[in-house]
Amino acid sequence: MKVLVAIKQVAALDEDFEITADGRDVDPDFLVTDLNEWDDYSLEEAVKIKEAAGSDVEVVAVSVGAESVDEALRKCLAKGADRAIRVWDDALAGSDSVAIARVLAAVAKKENPDLLFAGVQSSDQSFASTGIATSAFLRWPHAAVVTKLDYSPGAKSAVIRRELEGGAFQEVEIQCPAVLTIQLGINVPRYASLRSIKQAAAKPIEVLSLADIGVQPGEVGEAGSLSRVRRMYIPEKGRAEMLPGNLAEQSARLAAIIKEFKGVAP
Amino acid sequence: MFDSASITRVLFEDFRPWAVRLFYLFGYSAIAVFLYGVYVQVRKYRRGTKASLEGGLWGRFGWMIESLLSQRTVTRRDRSAGAAHGLIFYGFVLLFLGTATITLEYDILEPLFGIRFWHGEFYLWFSLVLDVAGIALISGLLYMMVRRGWIKPPKLDYARPDRQPTDPDYDRSNYRREDWAFLWTLIVIAVTGFALEAARLVWLQSRPDVWDYRWWSPVGAALAELFQALGLSAAGGGALRTGLWWFHGLLALVFIALIPFTKVKHILTAMASMAARDPLAAQRLPRVPESQTTPGYQYITDFTWRHLLNLDACTKCGRCHEACPARAVGAPLSPRDVILSLREFANHALAYGRLPDKAQLDVHGKSPGQVAMETLWSCRTCMACVEICPVAIEHVPIIVQLRRKLVEEGEMDPLLQKTLQTIHKTGNSFGESKRKRAAWTKALPFPVKDARKEPVDLLWFVGDYASFDPRNQRVTQTFATLLHEAGVDFGILYEAESNAGNDIRRVGEEGLYEALATANVGALSGAKFNSIVTTDPHSYNTIRNEYPDFGGRYAIEHYTTVIQRLLESGALTASRKLGYRVTFHDPCHLGRFNKGYDAPRTILRLLGCELVEMGRCRDNSFCCGAGGGRIWIPDPVGAEKPAQNRIREAAAIGGLQVYVVSCPKDLTMFEDALKTTGNEGKFVVRELIELLREAVDAKAAVPAPVAVA
Amino acid sequence: MSEILVIAEHRRGELRPVSLELVTAAQSLRNSPEDRVSVAVIADRPAAFAQQLRVPGVDTIVTMTISTADFDPDTAAACVQALIAERRPKAVLLANSVDSFGFAAALAAQGGYGFATDVFKIEYQDGALVATRGGYGQKVNVEVDFPGKSVVVLCIRANVFKAPDGQAKPAEVSATAPALAPRSTSKGYVELASGDDVDMSTADFILSIGRGIGEESKVAQFRELADAVGATLGCSRPIADAGWLPKSRQVGQSGKTASACKLYVAMGISGAIQHLAGMKHVPTVIAVNSDAGASIFSVAKYGIVGDIFEVADELRRHF
Repeated sequence: MKVLVAIKQVAALDEDFEITADGRDVDPDFLVTDLNEWDDYSLEEAVKIKEAAGSDVEVVAVSVGAESVDEALRKCLAKGADRAIRVWDDALAGSDSVAIARVLAAVAKKENPDLLFAGVQSSDQSFASTGIATSAFLRWPHAAVVTKLDYSPGAKSAVIRRELEGGAFQEVEIQCPAVLTIQLGINVPRYASLRSIKQAAAKPIEVLSLADIGVQPGEVGEAGSLSRVRRMYIPEKGRAEMLPGNLAEQSARLAAIIKEFKGVAP
Repeated sequence: MFDSASITRVLFEDFRPWAVRLFYLFGYSAIAVFLYGVYVQVRKYRRGTKASLEGGLWGRFGWMIESLLSQRTVTRRDRSAGAAHGLIFYGFVLLFLGTATITLEYDILEPLFGIRFWHGEFYLWFSLVLDVAGIALISGLLYMMVRRGWIKPPKLDYARPDRQPTDPDYDRSNYRREDWAFLWTLIVIAVTGFALEAARLVWLQSRPDVWDYRWWSPVGAALAELFQALGLSAAGGGALRTGLWWFHGLLALVFIALIPFTKVKHILTAMASMAARDPLAAQRLPRVPESQTTPGYQYITDFTWRHLLNLDACTKCGRCHEACPARAVGAPLSPRDVILSLREFANHALAYGRLPDKAQLDVHGKSPGQVAMETLWSCRTCMACVEICPVAIEHVPIIVQLRRKLVEEGEMDPLLQKTLQTIHKTGNSFGESKRKRAAWTKALPFPVKDARKEPVDLLWFVGDYASFDPRNQRVTQTFATLLHEAGVDFGILYEAESNAGNDIRRVGEEGLYEALATANVGALSGAKFNSIVTTDPHSYNTIRNEYPDFGGRYAIEHYTTVIQRLLESGALTASRKLGYRVTFHDPCHLGRFNKGYDAPRTILRLLGCELVEMGRCRDNSFCCGAGGGRIWIPDPVGAEKPAQNRIREAAAIGGLQVYVVSCPKDLTMFEDALKTTGNEGKFVVRELIELLREAVDAKAAVPAPVAVA
Repeated sequence: MSEILVIAEHRRGELRPVSLELVTAAQSLRNSPEDRVSVAVIADRPAAFAQQLRVPGVDTIVTMTISTADFDPDTAAACVQALIAERRPKAVLLANSVDSFGFAAALAAQGGYGFATDVFKIEYQDGALVATRGGYGQKVNVEVDFPGKSVVVLCIRANVFKAPDGQAKPAEVSATAPALAPRSTSKGYVELASGDDVDMSTADFILSIGRGIGEESKVAQFRELADAVGATLGCSRPIADAGWLPKSRQVGQSGKTASACKLYVAMGISGAIQHLAGMKHVPTVIAVNSDAGASIFSVAKYGIVGDIFEVADELRRHF
């Protein structure tokens, strides 16, 4: 039994970042990378299934990106993934989440897992699309924003809980194999000590090209995407009026605003 | 006068040969049982892993002998127990040496070489000394009985905070029984020894070469008078002597045989533990050996033989229990109980011919003998336990080894986990970008040299809290200004500095520590400087004691010694005498860890402050509670925090104006505790550097520019 | 003449307010007088919802009757797909919601439509449809376009566009539901038993705490402060996830929306987009945070950069 977990190495902006000359992205010098926070949870969910099952469950982490993505994959290996796959090809540059999904679907066809996990969204671009788009290419049942999962390895269906707006949940029974996008808080992701990350460096990461998974260059990159970045810019931020003075004065003003609101004499 | 040779005690006088043989049979049996017991213990230690022994053999033995003879370690913080133990120790040693001397002559020198010396003057002085030794022994034992039975100091209360009353190993009454049995057995042996002495005198009263010299055994003689007054005849004395002889002898032999199986073994294990001592225990933690597959201690067989020996050296004196700040605020940790649990575990698992299954060797958990996670995570690694232990037990290194395994398994508080991940990503515990580390320098009116680019005399290793925490940044800026005014050539590493790693290591994340230490050593090696100064005692400890293991050996000082030098040389002058009534809190990593007690006090004196010490000061300073990663672990809601406990101690000082600290974490913890204990307004918490700023007049230090007409 | 198709969203018998916001958003895509805005209601009893969609800006209401009452991703995708095939809109607007997360990307990938999510601005630039969304954790704005796509599917962020006022009388047509073969079944809803009876959506004055408070033992201080100033105590997601306050106190996308709130004091909250979703509409927001660059300051009316504990202490003195 196999769970395939799609992960993303996300980028956060450093202080004083700059937009590139073509105005369509941030200068990579100012990017700090890390494993996507949602993927911590989806990987943990997969490893939990593996640990709970008496039988053999293989957890495979997959990501699309250049060599620097290996760092995130290594973290997954340290946290309990059995294998890691990275797909890269220069033609992939400029891919949106749907083009990436096409690649992930091809890997899934090759790996033939029983479940495919992705995070609900990535903390950098928040498309919230990659996982579900992958399910379309696979023609698999899918559910998003999963906050609880009841599944026995190899079963024909799973019961999941979707986290809705406003604090309610919906329970759904879904046929398997399926694609599930995992929400924060579904579990408590384990800690990967630095030692285990270093040791995971010994485990190999399989690097695949587009040819290895049967995807044409024209199906990915800008040509295979459903949107294109025209311009990236730093927005004018609305600014709060900073209350003046020292701590005592600021707090006094705050108290006054509250009292005024309540119609109480200051 | 008598022939000196006749002034002696005839051994086995009037004994039938079979009786003598019987006695020797008992004797050899007792020794055999003793040796077997020793063998079982040694076999247990050999089931542990290698330990490196620091310092030369002579150095370590010398320290051990000196400590034993002076009884210094057992007298610290408990004069009366130390004195009483000294009496017992010397009494017992002398009596033992006495018996050994007799055996030497009777069983070896006389039969083999015909040498006899135990007679005449020597014999008489011998008798006197041993009587005094016996009195000493009994006095000491009597005091100990009074101490346990009536005085009942809190540290001898065996109630353990790491178990519930319903747990099977909560009850400690068998330890108490063993303690009393030990005391009673010894005292009975001693008393029957004297009674035996007296009985023999009564029995041999008609022999002038015995009776006329009886007062050389004053206690025996006095007792003999008593016996006679009670109507004991010579014949009666003889019978009594025979009876007491066998009773005293057999009891003593049983006592000896059982040494390795009872609390009495501490006479050997304590010596061995002290001789094997690592003088830098807890200050310098060991690296994970290359050969080890998983870090830290999971199984009892992962322990080094020294740690296994430590477990047996414990006499439950309770000093560590008393000193522990976690225990003081009700956390489920007592260093004593960690050691005792593990000892019980080791005795259960390692004391038999065959080792049980691996799974039964796991020391983590809540079953009898195991150590729970909550216990391990309560530790502040303040080293109060290690420092005060009379027999050199390494509580903190053991706890850190156990933590290493917990970290590997990811079993820790989520906030701690997050902090470790943050430190891994950004090199600091605040999650700030590396670029912001030196942001505090921007507010200064002068540039701070970049030690990466130009050589400096003094390289200042700033530390996380001092760099990023707003309150501490003010102290950092003040220190920079003072160094500048004093004309010191100093610089910092800017973004090349990472968290020094002291607390990461003590949390048990050895992999992350190695990464940080290696990075910092790399940065330091690339810079040119004469020595390092730091305002952070935690960084001070690890750079000074642990970085050499990573290829970084530097001359490093805490700022207090540097400031003391600047004040004494006149580079900085305290133009104002502050006249505050202050108390000083010794930071664990500067004071207890590295013995840096004096410089801050000298500075306070030079600043004209009136220093009133708190009860728990210097080596007994009470930790603020932030160490060992606890600053990244939330405290249980509603429980007292160590910092609050400490502030309350300070609040008891009448007229206290300033609570002085010299560590960034102390500043943070105590300012918070000042508020939460309701003491705000009564006195203030200040960093020593801030007091310095008040006293040092800026204008006097930097000459005013001369106007050019 | 092109059509802009809005897909209304409903749950448990109620039309979700974002559906009306989409109508306003749709108006931005009218670039010729013949353009039409239609709103589709896909439900087991669409008539009830159609009623509420008779607002200005809507030209046609399209009802599609299906058998299931609860959301199902396969059904949603198939129905919208069928509507697209029948009506050939140039743009399809969905809410950027949990339901849309469940099917929108699949719909777009299947049909090869232009696609963007979490869009908060739509317009035409030089004849091209341009959508603006956030990037790098909402720190930058990104304009995207859809060259060569005749149909564009957009998921629009809630609480950005204002629902239209007034009433209108749009035309109403019905559409036939396609053949459906859902691969999941709804088993009903679950409401977590909340720790207390508080309803954040009715409170008019909220004092909210976030990650900045550091540890659980600090919650008490703010609970007491909230009581003293007469506010309802609220929190951001991390506090509820950690169990320091009941989930019922969480304000944000997956918590409660502070719908009735007029004064919101946020202490130690950085302003993650999901939290803002629950409170940025509040007329007076006052943020206290030690980080001058926290996103919360961009939606707050007043701000204090400082230590939240010190501010809390000082504030307490006034009550």
